[in-house]
Amino acid sequence: MSFRELLNKGPFFLDGGMGTLLQAEGLKPGEAPETWNLTHPDKITAIHRAYYEAGTNMVATNTFGVHPQRYDLDTCEQMIRAAVACAEQARKEAADCGQELFIGMDIGPCGKLLKPLGPLEFEEAVSGFAEVIRIGASCGVDCIFLETMNDGAETRAALLAAKESCDLPVLVSNAYGADGKLMTGGSPESVVAMLEGLGADAVGVNCSLGPDALAPIVERYLAAASVPVLMKPNAGLPQEKDGKTFYNVLPDAFSAQIAALVPKGLRIMGGCCGTTPAYIAALKEAAGNLVPPPVEKKNHTVIASRGTVIELGKNPVIIGERINPTGKKRLRKALEDGDMAYVLNEAITQEERGAEVLDVNVGTPGVDEPAVLTQAVQELQAVTDLPLQLDTADAAAMERALRAYNGKAMINSVNGKREVMDAVFPLVQKYGGVLVALTLDEDGIPATAEGRLKIAEHILAEAAKYGIESKDILFDTLTMTVSADGAAAQITLDALKLIREKTGCGTVLGVSNVSFGLPEREVLGSAFLTMALERGLSAAIMNPLSDRMMGAMISFRTLTGRDENCGAYIRFAGELPAMQAVAPAAKAAACAKETGAQGLRRAVVKGLCREAGSLAREALESGQDGLELVKNEIIPALDEVGQGFEAKRLFLPQLMMSAEAAEAAFREIKAKTAGQAEGQASKGKVVIATVKGDIHDIGKNIVRLLLENYGFDVTDLGKDVAPETVLEAVERLHAPVCGLSALMTTTVPAMAETVALLHERAPWCRVMVGGAVLTEEYAKEIHADGYGRDAMAAVRLAEKFMEGEACGD
Amino acid sequence: MQEGLYLEELGEIPFDEKEILRYAMLPSFAPKPEDLPLQECLKAAKGAAQCRAVWRHYPLVRDGDMLDLGFAKTDSRDLKQHLEGCGEILLFACTAGAETDRRIARAKLLSPAKGLLMHAIGAQQVEGGCDRLCERLARQFPDRQLTDRFSPGYGDLTLEMQRDVMAALDCGRTVGITLTDSLLMTPSKSVTAIIGMKAREKA
Repeated sequence: MSFRELLNKGPFFLDGGMGTLLQAEGLKPGEAPETWNLTHPDKITAIHRAYYEAGTNMVATNTFGVHPQRYDLDTCEQMIRAAVACAEQARKEAADCGQELFIGMDIGPCGKLLKPLGPLEFEEAVSGFAEVIRIGASCGVDCIFLETMNDGAETRAALLAAKESCDLPVLVSNAYGADGKLMTGGSPESVVAMLEGLGADAVGVNCSLGPDALAPIVERYLAAASVPVLMKPNAGLPQEKDGKTFYNVLPDAFSAQIAALVPKGLRIMGGCCGTTPAYIAALKEAAGNLVPPPVEKKNHTVIASRGTVIELGKNPVIIGERINPTGKKRLRKALEDGDMAYVLNEAITQEERGAEVLDVNVGTPGVDEPAVLTQAVQELQAVTDLPLQLDTADAAAMERALRAYNGKAMINSVNGKREVMDAVFPLVQKYGGVLVALTLDEDGIPATAEGRLKIAEHILAEAAKYGIESKDILFDTLTMTVSADGAAAQITLDALKLIREKTGCGTVLGVSNVSFGLPEREVLGSAFLTMALERGLSAAIMNPLSDRMMGAMISFRTLTGRDENCGAYIRFAGELPAMQAVAPAAKAAACAKETGAQGLRRAVVKGLCREAGSLAREALESGQDGLELVKNEIIPALDEVGQGFEAKRLFLPQLMMSAEAAEAAFREIKAKTAGQAEGQASKGKVVIATVKGDIHDIGKNIVRLLLENYGFDVTDLGKDVAPETVLEAVERLHAPVCGLSALMTTTVPAMAETVALLHERAPWCRVMVGGAVLTEEYAKEIHADGYGRDAMAAVRLAEKFMEGEACGD
Repeated sequence: MQEGLYLEELGEIPFDEKEILRYAMLPSFAPKPEDLPLQECLKAAKGAAQCRAVWRHYPLVRDGDMLDLGFAKTDSRDLKQHLEGCGEILLFACTAGAETDRRIARAKLLSPAKGLLMHAIGAQQVEGGCDRLCERLARQFPDRQLTDRFSPGYGDLTLEMQRDVMAALDCGRTVGITLTDSLLMTPSKSVTAIIGMKAREKA
């Protein structure tokens, strides 16, 4: 029987702990076990052999820690070759064991956390894993065993590397905490969806807990997975007694607890920390004659992010449509300027208003779509755990974004055109995902429901050739504008129902388009949404900021028995503007009593954001000049707060609240004067950044906010910024001032390097520096032009430099 | 897991508003700004921190001018002073976890003031986790007197020691803490420290 067939049949036995046994042989605490492949190969071989003799089908090579992040490539290669040789020697020696013997190449975490939480680029992680996997594969191992991974993104990187660098089966095992989550937040369901999408041959769990504590997690795997499930628990928890460590679950209990899961579908099993050949022998004894039920294909349509799973086809799903530059000037400008904060804000706002998935479309002229879509996906996933729908017609952009996406994405879209199918299907086959398929082809959009069904059936047949199952396809029967064709909406809805019934597939519609060209669009749109939902729509791409649209969706759920005790409806209704109008207005009115403008000054000093915004608006509406408001109210207010801060009467949170209140007022003024104020108000360009290697940005963000308050045109490059990137921005903008922040002694050298580069290549630019570890002396030592001990000091410095500029100093 | 490492799940740490404001650089005598979105931030931070820790027990050996901590050697004068009279040490790493970092990132986008407060909440949570760990350690070693915590980077103790700490506690695997090239810990709300132990003086 082949390796894959044996896995599918089960029970299939893995080995137990390696580190535990090596420590008994003299491995010192902190000493890397993989070094013993070269120094003590006989000991490694003996351990493998003992496992084979205890009944193990597959031993894992002693290569857990071998990774280019830890060793140079030559050393990696030596260690891997030696490790596989040990396993092969053991297999020879144990040839008479009776069971079939295999060798899996063991791969553990690389020791660095991936972006966005850590410093490691996804593609760097992939290529690191690929290097070692290629070596292992060339040594003739039978499979790749990814284990003890506690971050979903890193697991993806390793699995993708395995799939791209060999044809061997890949077993993937993650380490969960007692809370049933990975360290970085993945859940069993989200991890399974992601790994199956990428083509894992078996999935499961190991390490961290004993068999009883891991059992509920394994059961969740069994409920979600369509591939074999594995389990490799610890021998319970380590405990100290008389200065010795021991594990609290003994072989009999260990094997009984695991064997109990075999009738539920568990088929691949072994042990992790604290387990020995005795545990595996007991396990084989307890489970060897059990027959697990066959691996069951799950027919769920599931998308996932890092930790959230959404099943389509149960509750209709709300896909937020707002990250799409079509017809949105402000977003288009943000994308052109690389202003990702605007995009992220759109995401959070939609999430707060009830979106469950976010559509992400960044296609607009002048934007490098593959790069920007990928960046958007990565940054969005750092701040929201909503699953994303990647929306692009550019196959290169889709592939890069799919690589970067942590989870199982929604892919928008394919259609019946040969060329499009040829480009998109291979991506779905490789990366997984739920595909949105538009019912159009080379001949356009059929005018009848039957015509659209025919295209849907053709798409399903073509997708099947790539092994893409119908459960992973949703059909979009295309919303046309009813103002152009009175029958358009009806055909779309008929096609929706027909395709649902005939193919069993889910459906999705971008509902907003129906009302294009008509007044009060949401009235029509919400009625259309209700009609589509009634015909079984699985997901609507819609505007979650529209109360009317959300009202239609939530009402539908309530009216179809999907909203227990009408709870969601009541919460929604409670947040409608009609219910809320009273409260903030009353507070603003209290400030306004002191007469509009004066109230504004007080609101900024007191740091009252909403009030500052509404008072500025009122003042403008009553005919006051925006620039006068800035000059006579906001700036004096900021000065008052700034002086209070410098005199230590006011403190950082107060300074920041005032700055935000001022910003709220500025926003109103800018909106009113429509840019006319911007040119006049700018005091000059400032580039700011946290230096390379440093990820602290709170201080830098405060400096940005205050500089903006004081009228500077700030370009914020973010954190962990390379010296060359700072130089590039300073040169491009010919910025007279640059601010650098560093918080660690270890990142001050990067600051010194940046200052030197700027002085050499952009001698017109004055560099000010700040951050917790810096002092006036240190700033001088690295030749900075100024040192700002806090955010106010940075503003004063920038003003001084700009004045110098104006005098030709 | 390596022999001699002990994991502690520290559970939910209660919010301490006074401490949080102190971490947000608002001195206790200063009035709290009226609109400070502290309650909103506390709501947003709820359930984010999953404090867990790993620790290990070492004998402390003085070797001429050097301190042999069992996992690393150092000639730090400040640490020597801190460990005066101690014959053993406890080394630990504690983290509030990755979700805390995510909530901070999210808050920063909405407003710098919220970002500052979420940072402060994260700091209070991990410090609260360390306090709880230290209480447990004190109970575990009732006949010893424990010093305060001393972290790499304090005084003249070099931050480079973080690499040794990570290896000794197998931090990536045990609690999910890893180091960047510039020796920052990720997740950012993490603490590593050394605690000295000596025999309890009889009162």
